[in-house]
Amino acid sequence: MIKLERINKYYRQGDHRFHVLHDISLNVDQGELVAIIGESGSGKSTLINIIGFLDDDFEGNYFYEGQPIHNYTRKQFSKLRNQNVGFVFQNFKLIREASVVENVALPLLYAGQRRSTIRGRVEAVLDQVGLHGYGDSLPQNMSGGQQQRVSIARAIVSHPHFLIADEPTGALDTETSQEIMNLFKELNQNEGTTIIMVTHDPKVAAQCDRIVKIIDGRVVSDSQEVRDAGK
Amino acid sequence: MRVSELIRTALRSLRANKKRSFLTIIGIMIGIAAVITILGIGDGITQTMYDKFGNNAKRGQQTTEIYYTPDNENSAVNGFNQQDLTNIDNQFGGEVRRVRIEHETANLNTHAEIGDTLKRTTVSLLNKPTTDVKMIAGHNLSAGQLATGEPVALMKESLAKKQYGTAQNAIGTTATVGSTSYRVVGVYRGQAEYSTDGDENKYGVDLLLPKKLYYQGDTASQGNTIKLTFDQGENAGRLSRKVEKYLKKNGSAASQGTYTYEDMEKALKQFSSQMSIITSFISLIAAISLFIAGIGVMNMMYISVSERTQEIGIRLAVGATPANIMMQFLIEAVVLTVTGGLLGFLGGAGLAHLIAPLLSHSIGSGIHIHAHITLNAFLLAFGTSAAVGLVFGILPARQAANKNLIDILR
Repeated sequence: MIKLERINKYYRQGDHRFHVLHDISLNVDQGELVAIIGESGSGKSTLINIIGFLDDDFEGNYFYEGQPIHNYTRKQFSKLRNQNVGFVFQNFKLIREASVVENVALPLLYAGQRRSTIRGRVEAVLDQVGLHGYGDSLPQNMSGGQQQRVSIARAIVSHPHFLIADEPTGALDTETSQEIMNLFKELNQNEGTTIIMVTHDPKVAAQCDRIVKIIDGRVVSDSQEVRDAGK
Repeated sequence: MRVSELIRTALRSLRANKKRSFLTIIGIMIGIAAVITILGIGDGITQTMYDKFGNNAKRGQQTTEIYYTPDNENSAVNGFNQQDLTNIDNQFGGEVRRVRIEHETANLNTHAEIGDTLKRTTVSLLNKPTTDVKMIAGHNLSAGQLATGEPVALMKESLAKKQYGTAQNAIGTTATVGSTSYRVVGVYRGQAEYSTDGDENKYGVDLLLPKKLYYQGDTASQGNTIKLTFDQGENAGRLSRKVEKYLKKNGSAASQGTYTYEDMEKALKQFSSQMSIITSFISLIAAISLFIAGIGVMNMMYISVSERTQEIGIRLAVGATPANIMMQFLIEAVVLTVTGGLLGFLGGAGLAHLIAPLLSHSIGSGIHIHAHITLNAFLLAFGTSAAVGLVFGILPARQAANKNLIDILR
């Protein structure tokens, strides 16, 4: 589904140019649960942003379901994001003044749907993440775990092909982290949703099917390749 | 995203920041209110002047007057007779719809012999009985007396007392105006010469006489004022000047006096053009205040954009296009200014209605100025405020739309 070929990424800071990603090549298939691990500053968030169509400024080829999206315009990226991918961020990224329902409905509204037709879908997703009856609450009055559930609900509301999660448990305590991980695994196993997450928590990574390790912008190990090699 | 959703989103974020939104609205409101007040009063004044002095174009036709002044003040010569009217009819029949001698009925200045003294007297004429005077002695003129034109008269109390000692004594005496002697049948309480709103008071005169008798014989077919009636759309002022010119040459009494047409319409046009100069000057000042208010809007929108960077990032991440983001902020700006514009319109209209009576009071002399708020003023308020929103909202909105998603999310 996702095919990265020799991706290079630079950050410019004043006169300096940091080479963040070095020749990354990576394939992810439908239904995988992938953890990308690495030190902070290793470039794993940069990589996941590219995979999730958040960052269109990179060198190399990115084929998504066979489409060469490295050639897409900014507007096409917006549509791609809206229809194919759901995001879960470490600090939830919810609109604080908007109710839970408003937040969850955003991707559908931006897809051009009517408020009246999406009410049912939003309720269903909130039930799925265990937030039945929280529709009218404001995110700022909820606990971290609950907020992360809202953000997962928002990520899956439009039936995306895959989820991108950047340190989804980074701001949560161990118990809540496990609840969120269980939710991810449930989505992956029951609905076949592809999930790619960045984490530096070994316990979280251990629960994923495949672990990709990045050091200094290079893929140093990929458990799938090890497995494939062992076959 | 649907437009209705964009508007809903914009309204919600404006509500989230009530105080700041309100302050921004006030700036626009004051600017628009100032313009609307000035326009309302300015239009009102122009309107009042036209109503009072114009050619009465509103009633489907226009009328003008030409009057005659004899060179010798005491001369009894009349400027217009039937021959003049026929001549005008022949000469200008196509353009002038009707011409007739205007018989004044109120506040005529004339001489009357009362008792045995001849003195300057003011006279008003009656067609039908009036209840506007209060009788002190004798009785009022009856409908019958007026209809048949009996030589009867009512006299003012002060004149009666001065001439005959008491009001009662005046009853039965005669007053001779022109060649007709009138029998005084009643005395009425005197009234002020001018009414409270400054017009001449018809009943403030010395004598009240039957109109039918006053204008009879020669006087009915002669006079010093003619009234010209034109169809709407004709250039009444220009035609009246032509008639005036014609009369100066060919009028029956051209050698003993002058015919004058006072072109009020021309004066009015001058007046209204002066008004519009004043109006546009003050509007210029108002425009400057709107410009400043617009900068206020821009300032607020820039602050709003930088405060809500996270929100913009979130929206972009879940699939908003840059155009969506730009529209959202642009709508916010326009909603702010249009709200200010509409409030300003209401405020300005109210203020104009409040100021207009004060103004007419301070001018006095019977001029009633009504604030005149037109549909155009409404459209102006609406259009200007929307335009201010668009012009001053576009840069902040573009900045919002062009934000780099990765920089925000990092």
